[in-house]
Amino acid sequence: MIPPSFRRFPLRYASARNIRRWNSTVTESHPAGGHLPSVATSSFLCTTRDAALRPRGITWTDEGEMGSTDNLIPGRDTRKMNMYQAVRDALSHAMMRDDTAVVFGEDVAFGGVFRCTMGLAEEFGKERVFNTPLSEQGIAGFGIGIAAMGHTAIAEIQFADYIFPAFDQIVNEAAKYRFRSSGQFQAGTLTIRCPSMAVGHGGHYHSQSPEGFFMGAAGIKIVIPRSPIQAKGLLLSSIRDPNPVIFMEPKILYRSSVEQVPLDDYQLPLGRAETLVSGSDLTLLSWGTPIYHCETAMHMLSTPPDALASHIPSSLRSAKIELIDLRTILPWDIETVVESVSRTGRLVIVHEAGRIGGVGAEISAEIQKRCFLKLNAPVMLVTGWDTPVPMQFEKFYVPDALRVVDAVVETLSY
Amino acid sequence: MSYARSLSMQHEHGHLPSSQSPITPKLQFFNSVTTDGQQIPTYRVLDGVGKPIEGATLPEIGEDVARRMYENMVQLPIIDNLMYNVQRQGKLAFYMTHYGEEATLIGSAAALALDDEVLGQYRELGVLMWRGFTLDDMMNSCFGNCEDPCSRGKQMPMHFGSRAHHFHMISSPLATQIPQAAGVGFAIKRDPARRGRNCAVVYFGEGAASEGDFHAGMLFASTIPSPTLFIARNNGFAISTPATEQYYGDGIAARGPGYGVHTIRVDGNDVLAVYNAIKEARTLCIDEGRAVLVEAMTYRVGHHSTSDDSFAYRPRQEVEDRKRLDNPIARFRLFLEARGWWSADEENALRARLKDEVMSAFRRAEALPKPELKEMFDNVYGGEEPWSIREQREELSRLLKKYGNVWEPWRSELQKHKGAGKELMEDSQ
Repeated sequence: MIPPSFRRFPLRYASARNIRRWNSTVTESHPAGGHLPSVATSSFLCTTRDAALRPRGITWTDEGEMGSTDNLIPGRDTRKMNMYQAVRDALSHAMMRDDTAVVFGEDVAFGGVFRCTMGLAEEFGKERVFNTPLSEQGIAGFGIGIAAMGHTAIAEIQFADYIFPAFDQIVNEAAKYRFRSSGQFQAGTLTIRCPSMAVGHGGHYHSQSPEGFFMGAAGIKIVIPRSPIQAKGLLLSSIRDPNPVIFMEPKILYRSSVEQVPLDDYQLPLGRAETLVSGSDLTLLSWGTPIYHCETAMHMLSTPPDALASHIPSSLRSAKIELIDLRTILPWDIETVVESVSRTGRLVIVHEAGRIGGVGAEISAEIQKRCFLKLNAPVMLVTGWDTPVPMQFEKFYVPDALRVVDAVVETLSY
Repeated sequence: MSYARSLSMQHEHGHLPSSQSPITPKLQFFNSVTTDGQQIPTYRVLDGVGKPIEGATLPEIGEDVARRMYENMVQLPIIDNLMYNVQRQGKLAFYMTHYGEEATLIGSAAALALDDEVLGQYRELGVLMWRGFTLDDMMNSCFGNCEDPCSRGKQMPMHFGSRAHHFHMISSPLATQIPQAAGVGFAIKRDPARRGRNCAVVYFGEGAASEGDFHAGMLFASTIPSPTLFIARNNGFAISTPATEQYYGDGIAARGPGYGVHTIRVDGNDVLAVYNAIKEARTLCIDEGRAVLVEAMTYRVGHHSTSDDSFAYRPRQEVEDRKRLDNPIARFRLFLEARGWWSADEENALRARLKDEVMSAFRRAEALPKPELKEMFDNVYGGEEPWSIREQREELSRLLKKYGNVWEPWRSELQKHKGAGKELMEDSQ
């Protein structure tokens, strides 16, 4: 199951001057064992037009065009974008194609506190891109009402940490809208975007990863992208999916992840994980920011910095790690994960949220059930601790590359 | 010095640069939205014996509409009586009566366009039936049987909803429908086919108005101008909690002006006053494209629900007095009779006919089986069915094949479903 396209993008390790210091996977000084990849230098980001036009599972959704990906590539263009620009581009496409689509939330009219809606109000008018009063339950409820009329509602909650006032509207209302009315009414055209995950200095309420809280809300989907290409394609799919979707954007990646992004309208599939690196010895599963910690950890495993060399047995350095980006948290891609773990016999799940009641606990229970005879080691979770996200302790809170490589070594040597 | 006079004097000092607030040297607190410090008045057309009060303007409705309104009002307690007793006999899981609120429901329903989008709380059956929802629909929904047109047996009784009747699905969480209504109003305004023709209408009790969602809904519909008509049914109680423990201000109406919303308080037991107020409120709402609030003052004569004995927290005599002294149906009947639009014979005939119709719809609904068991898994998601739903349906299917005929609680329950679960037990899924 090695995706052939992966081989076209071998790992590249860029010079240290490109390394962003606030990325927790990054070492402060030049390690003797070589430079480690970070978000800025990740091989998962497409730096060429050719690569950017061939993300796996892409569907070109230009109006009136049909056909396969391949024969549509000539003539398509890409532009270098960071993630907030890709989100903005997706919103623009969504509004262009759908006159009922509106974008609203706190401070979105001037461009948003993370610049994701820059210029949209000028482009589409204040009736379609507008500020709401500062009330998250109002934003969610208002969006549900718009969606109940069949219009497309793209709501923003300023930080995922502030989605909880809307929890009732999302879990009791949006998620159950279709079921309780046997399909007469539905809130499927509602998408709620919210910046999530740690940012280096966000403390309790600008750092959370609340995806696990919504995991039991059958009826909604939860999507988390890892890069600009992914953000645009997955957001357009979320907006057009016939179910309410919570789209969580890892805010540390808004500026730090930069790649070539197709300018045309395209979608990436929901409910499908993506295998970023194929391997046969251990499955590493993550989503959002920690994907890049995993990439760093994989490099540390094969080429450990001198300081860590004694902790990484040479026998394990050639281990083939399979890295999977889950992308959709609910409903998650069980097929891809089970297939992978059945082959590798080992699973390490990495996420920023705390462990108890988290998404990792859910996935590991299901994998334990389905891969019991194939497992060679316990499923390991590398997660935030079960504390609120602590301001001055964040480097020790987040599941960084060191903790990932440690879990990989422990699992491989179990 | 009167409050109004002191206000006019304040203008002598100019006003704040960022608002129209006049500067005043007078240190003065206030606690009323009326300039004379009185409570907001209650608009009324008919007095307690059905006579137009002095100065009141009767709505321009003819005999046909008036009779239809009356018939719809009378119908409600007939349905309520039967269903309440049926629930008491254990034939129905749950019920909520409308006693005392018939005029508010029918008066407002008659004043709305049939395609105004209605979002209710749960005590608004009269509005739905006014729009043509039949007794069969109502009974099938309450019994959640295989002809349930609303939730296909998935929600509790009284949780109605019908796309065809522009009546959005009721849900139990209180006040959630209020900000949703603002969104519905907004969507109507953006729709060229409905802009200027329709509004969103949201009903809620005075207790629900204490929820944060009431605040959000009023705020959104006024700030993001959306034609949304807010109808508060202030019936004095939220289960056991009297309105006096629900708020300390002048009811719900006093909050409207705080949101910049046109507001009126109306006698909710006077069907013509409700009709007039809602008619005018609706026009205002659509013309201005903004929120309008109507607080209808009523009294919840019945228990909160079949799970409630209201005499545990209010004297029986108080209820009896209210029924006798301020009965919305009796008031309207006196008005109709005075006009020669109604008679005792017609009354008897109507009641006999309605009782028959209600009874036969009930018997029919009661005898119908529940929906097919596989429907339990329908409509969780739209589009491609997630593996979790598919696998769990298959798991139930496996369990049914194994135990469906031997585990008594399931065996007898399966017989109540259309097809007795065979679609799950026999399919090679």
